[in-house]
Amino acid sequence: MTSAAEQTRSDIVAMLPRLRRFARALTGQMADADDIVQIAVERALMRMDQYQPGTRLDSWLFSIVRNAWIDEARSRTRRGKVFAPAELGEQVGNDGEAEMHAKLEADDVWSAMRKLPEEQREAVALVCVEGLAYREAADALGVPIGTLTSRLARGREALQMMLGGAS
Amino acid sequence: MSVDDERLMAFADGELSGTERAEVEAALAEDASLREKLAAHQRLRTRLSGAFDGALSEPVPASLLSAAEKPRTAEVVNLADRRMARWSVREWGAMAASVVLGLFVGVGVMSAQAPLMSPSPSGLVARGALADALETQLASDEAGAVRIGLSFRDTDGRYCRTFDLTDGGTAGLACREGDAWNVAMTTAGAGGGEVRQAAASEQILNAVNAMIVGEPLDATSEAQARDAGWE
Repeated sequence: MTSAAEQTRSDIVAMLPRLRRFARALTGQMADADDIVQIAVERALMRMDQYQPGTRLDSWLFSIVRNAWIDEARSRTRRGKVFAPAELGEQVGNDGEAEMHAKLEADDVWSAMRKLPEEQREAVALVCVEGLAYREAADALGVPIGTLTSRLARGREALQMMLGGAS
Repeated sequence: MSVDDERLMAFADGELSGTERAEVEAALAEDASLREKLAAHQRLRTRLSGAFDGALSEPVPASLLSAAEKPRTAEVVNLADRRMARWSVREWGAMAASVVLGLFVGVGVMSAQAPLMSPSPSGLVARGALADALETQLASDEAGAVRIGLSFRDTDGRYCRTFDLTDGGTAGLACREGDAWNVAMTTAGAGGGEVRQAAASEQILNAVNAMIVGEPLDATSEAQARDAGWE
């Protein structure tokens, strides 16, 4: 492996905490989030030749995480599998961990995020959680910037409604 | 001038500069309701940070670190790429619910009490509790060390069954050859939640789809096939 690729790999490792945060916002599930990050990291390593050094690694990785989640959501729909957040905590092996997961997932913000339409949730996750600029977020999602801002505006409005003015 | 919601949002997100920014600032100075809207944006950001920033300070799980540090290796030995019609969602669901995924390595499977699989000239063969379960257990039976998923006949006329190890280990597929159950494939993965499990199910299901003739056995034909010794 070339040293540039090695560098990218260690940059990916350094990005793991942010990828986990993004995936949590995106999936609304602790266990799903780490699964998705793992899938995304594996994909990123396989496609490292597609990454252009000098461009933003975070946007590239976020888009891979997001695509991994879309693939998963699609295949769940295809399988007729209902998205059932409440059941998930019970499947986690360790009780203390399960309890921690369930507690977090029950949080108002998490549950409000889960209720957003996918395209609004991903816009909110990239801009409001990850702090990407509109241009970067639009690129990561592969949409025009106007589309990004209108999804973001609608998503935020819905969140503010659900969270009672976000007070 | 009036500031619409999207422009105020762009201001809150630091997207405006120069004249645009100055215009919004001027409007904010005069308009208390606009200031309140801006404050709501900021509160929302704070709440989102509070909800998700924990990921930044938590230790990254070892499974993720190793995924990022090791080259990916093939996890699944797939028997064939042929695809046939998928079966019903109900049956899939029964199996998906039963599949638990783990790491198929020597430690996990081979050394736990009696070995559950061992190599033979014809490939990996089920042993011990796994062989017993494949031979006698029905999908509806309460799972011991092994859970049985789907049973079906493959293109060679053999009976095949999907299984998983209840201690969070391997999931796989075995077919009866002579008196033994040959383990045709196993899935591996370092623990994980539902997505990984579902991915494993899907890998096994793809293999099943490639091998199956007709439909999976229903409960009655499953019991009959067992009683007839899978002949």
